[in-house]
Amino acid sequence: MVDLMLLAPEIAIAVTGLFVLVTGIFMSPQAKNMLGYLATFGVLAALGLTVASFGTEAVMFSGTVSIDALSQFFKLVFLVVALLVSVAAIKYNEDSEHIEEFYALVLFATFGMMFVASANDLIVLFCAFELASLATYALAGYEKQNPRSLEAAMKYFVIGSVSAALMLFGLSFVYGATGTTSIPLIAANSGLLVDNPIGLVAVVLLIAGFGFKMALVPFHMWAPDTYQGSPSVVSALLAAGSKKMGFVAAFRVFIVALAALQPDWQLAFTILAVVTMTFGNVVAVSQTSVKRMLAYSSLAQAGYIAMAFVVMTPMALAGGILYALAHAFMKAGAFIAAGAVVWMVTSEKRGNLEVPDHLDNFKGLGTRMPIAAFAMMVFVFALAGIPPTAGFMAKFVLFSSTIQAGMIWLAVIAILNSALSLFYYARLVKYMYFLPPEGEKVGTPFPYALALLLAVAGVLVIGIWPEPFVQWAMEAASVLV
Amino acid sequence: MALEELAFLIPVLPALAFVITFFFGKKLPSGGAIIPIAAIAASFVISLMITLGLLANPEEVVSQSVSWFAVLNLGVLIDPLAAVMLCMVSFVSLLIHIYAVGYMSHDPAKPRYFAETALFTAAMLSLVLSDNILQLFVSWELVGLCSYLLIGFWFAKPSAASAAKKAFLTTRIGDVMFLTGIIVLTADLMKLAGGFTDGVYLLRFDEIFSYIPELSAMQANFLGFEVSHLTIITLLFFGGAVGKSGQFPLHVWLPDAMEGPTTVSALIHAATMVTAGVYLVARTFPMFIAAPDSLMVVAYFGGFTALFAATMGIVMNDLKRVLAFSTISQLGYMMLGLGLGATIGLEAVGVSLFHLINHAFFKALLFLCAGSVIHAVGTHDMRELGGVAKVMPITAATMTAAALSLAGFGIPGTSIGTSGFFSKDPIIEAAYLLGEHNGNWIPYIFSILAALLTAVYIFRLIFMTFAGKPRSNYGGHESPSSMTIPLSILAVFALVFGGLTRTGFMEFLEETFTNSFVNVDIGSLAGLGEYEIVHAAGHEPLLILWLPVIIALAGLGISFVLYYLKAVDLGAVASMKNPVYKLLYKRYYQHEIFTEFFSIGVVYGVVAFLTQVVDVIIDSIVEAIGIVTVAAADALRRVQTGVVQTYASVVIAGVGLLIILVKLIMEVL
Repeated sequence: MVDLMLLAPEIAIAVTGLFVLVTGIFMSPQAKNMLGYLATFGVLAALGLTVASFGTEAVMFSGTVSIDALSQFFKLVFLVVALLVSVAAIKYNEDSEHIEEFYALVLFATFGMMFVASANDLIVLFCAFELASLATYALAGYEKQNPRSLEAAMKYFVIGSVSAALMLFGLSFVYGATGTTSIPLIAANSGLLVDNPIGLVAVVLLIAGFGFKMALVPFHMWAPDTYQGSPSVVSALLAAGSKKMGFVAAFRVFIVALAALQPDWQLAFTILAVVTMTFGNVVAVSQTSVKRMLAYSSLAQAGYIAMAFVVMTPMALAGGILYALAHAFMKAGAFIAAGAVVWMVTSEKRGNLEVPDHLDNFKGLGTRMPIAAFAMMVFVFALAGIPPTAGFMAKFVLFSSTIQAGMIWLAVIAILNSALSLFYYARLVKYMYFLPPEGEKVGTPFPYALALLLAVAGVLVIGIWPEPFVQWAMEAASVLV
Repeated sequence: MALEELAFLIPVLPALAFVITFFFGKKLPSGGAIIPIAAIAASFVISLMITLGLLANPEEVVSQSVSWFAVLNLGVLIDPLAAVMLCMVSFVSLLIHIYAVGYMSHDPAKPRYFAETALFTAAMLSLVLSDNILQLFVSWELVGLCSYLLIGFWFAKPSAASAAKKAFLTTRIGDVMFLTGIIVLTADLMKLAGGFTDGVYLLRFDEIFSYIPELSAMQANFLGFEVSHLTIITLLFFGGAVGKSGQFPLHVWLPDAMEGPTTVSALIHAATMVTAGVYLVARTFPMFIAAPDSLMVVAYFGGFTALFAATMGIVMNDLKRVLAFSTISQLGYMMLGLGLGATIGLEAVGVSLFHLINHAFFKALLFLCAGSVIHAVGTHDMRELGGVAKVMPITAATMTAAALSLAGFGIPGTSIGTSGFFSKDPIIEAAYLLGEHNGNWIPYIFSILAALLTAVYIFRLIFMTFAGKPRSNYGGHESPSSMTIPLSILAVFALVFGGLTRTGFMEFLEETFTNSFVNVDIGSLAGLGEYEIVHAAGHEPLLILWLPVIIALAGLGISFVLYYLKAVDLGAVASMKNPVYKLLYKRYYQHEIFTEFFSIGVVYGVVAFLTQVVDVIIDSIVEAIGIVTVAAADALRRVQTGVVQTYASVVIAGVGLLIILVKLIMEVL
């Protein structure tokens, strides 16, 4: 008998999603605003259930779903992002008529991500992956009247489909060679893939499939357009949440299932990590749209996390996993702060309306929206890796493990990249605090402010009190090695 | 006892008060002053209760630690040393906060003021509570930052802004030495302990002290001398203390620091922050006593500073500057007291800290009285004052009490005397003991001469300000009760605290290094430091016991004759034609030597030269990187065509390329 309680967080999310969708249909537009609070409550409940389940380990449904420290850690990451997005979206959706669709999609996407985190079978993994992807395709095009949003969704969808095909292709090779879709059994049979040309092809195809979500160069092309065009709260979900889905899937498939092919994928990730972080940081320098800049910075961050696959020591994996959590707070927060500015610009009809997230619209934000500006400053400094923030701790663990493993050249590249990134992050701070404001003080609306302060708290708590988080990340990493 | 569990709240409450006042102060009555006052009052009550508990049972110190970054810790340690400092800091800070409600009532930036003083108090309390050297350093820096912010509180005034910068930069020299000391210590400890072990906090004081013999045995070759690592570390620590506690030659910032509000001068630059250096030396005293020569260096610097600053105090015409030099001089006494541990061992900590506490009372009182005068009269030039006693009787009476305490009046051998008497005298007597046993009379001569000058300058201040007839047309009235009540409370402490507590205090402090947290054998450590400790205080010849009091009376007499009776025309002596006067008035040309010649001439000159040469090189490198990056960014940006077909092609091409690349590299390797 399967103990369904083990899936309580997923069930809570799914039930909330369905409930929001169904009740929303029968509600008046005014009353729909409460759906946001309902969804937030559901996410909070799931978050509580996940934290309560820490320490349990189980394999369910004929070995296709595995509950362990790794899945729980990443569920935490996804739920944190979902929480921030749900809270911020209360304001974003204020005048929308489709609130129930928005929240249902966010919750279904989260549900999919959570299942990817605990998938122990390639079929489950793929289905959950697609569930999350399909929900986010629709979310990216949520602003139906906004051509940019539609363009973002279209590109995301086309590239997403290509990538899904590549991933499925790769999975089929793995299945063909090993005769099973169960991750532990593949691990046992993966000797069959070694010295087989199919092994390399499968690895690269899978990297392409997961790399689409992780936004690794050259599978990243959709990301800047989509992050910029989508509503900011959706960009937050994509950059902070769905990106991690790619990582957790890659952790399971490469490190657990395809451990025998380590030389192949390690080399591939080496190339991709270096190229991705450098490309992301360099291109971010010349961006004038803040969301686009954050998109490229997000590439760079993916490059850092991918270093975990290159170094492959338990400490490095813990660093990568911790980075995923830290990045969830800082990137989601940064996109939400950008969303607050977009809201300000569009509601005031003042400033650069063509590109509402243009750098010029951030001028003097420190006086116009003090909370949003302060939070944004914390996030970009965290992204740059300045103490005492989560970004610093994550980089510290990851980079020092790289040095310990003797890969000093990689650490040097990563650190130089971090230094380079400071240029465009500091520029944003300069716009917010050192340039005169163009317009009146607006203040940050409550839901945005709450989401931002939650994220700031997360960033600072991990930065100042890292022990428990490092400990969790170590436990999660111990599932892999 | 449950109260000890709350020890961590002592710094946390004022820190919370800082946050609340900083963000919401504008919306609260009187600039949110009530929040820090309540928080600090709570801190004071907790400190006092813990101290009372500790007094009953000095062995059971309060010690809490939590792990921080795996091998470091954040902790609270309240032993007798920390306990008395905590009570003093929170008490003085509390009184000054109450006083500031009146003093700052007309200032529009009140919320910022109260927020910053609350943060300062939090940092200072956390400094005192630290059970490890790193946390102490972090608080130390935070204290320095608050000092910078508060000296430059009226930052629109150029002199305030530059004084703030001067203070920050000068103390920075000391801070760098302190940090270097911590780094050397950490490196040595890691070598001795064989690296970090989980759960063992190497930088906690008990761990540090347990490695003293090994540290002392480590020798380094420094400029041809064989020096113990312990000596290097302690001297570097002392360097930090020199900066923070305004000892020669890093004292130059302290007189300028009087540009801040007078309450700040009283809180930071008289009573609390400047004592941090003394506290550091006292806290690490077992290390100092085990290090040959370190204590003697401390004694010499302290004694010299005591005398040197007192000579300048005599000629200053600015109320607050006289007090600033007096502070430097008294801090010199405290350092001297610690340095005399070379002769009297652990008693030195008690003696020095006793003076520190008494000084906090009478110096805070002096500053607040000066503030009261300035607040009422609007000038701090003593040449324009005179006869203030008639309009401000309470202020005049309390300030005179403080002056008596500073000059150290009392009757040796009895319990009659001012607080200052009971703490300054033992230091001078200990200096005599050093001379008697080691034949080294210099610290004694310094200290006894400084005592004479102290009496002269402080009564000069009293006579010039309060006695005689007004020399200018000032208005003025007695200050409001929120100001005079703290004055009266402090005056009582300045007069009787020392007499009431003297024996108990010193005995209490001697428990600092033998209790449930640390237990060091000072005797054997002094052996490592090659110091010979005697326990014969109180058996000096009668003349020696009476000499400080006689000297103080002489000083009072000189001031009375010169500044009250005006028996001698000082115009001829106190003129710029007199080279001695000019030397003193120009403060030994420190400004010319340190600031204009050394800082601006040498350092700035070298920097300017290097800027021209090195900057061109570095700039061109940086700019080249910048140009390349921007150009690359521009070129790479064009890859992003926006056409989704291209994107899909890149994905497929990427897959192909990656397969080929990996295959190729695998073949080659």
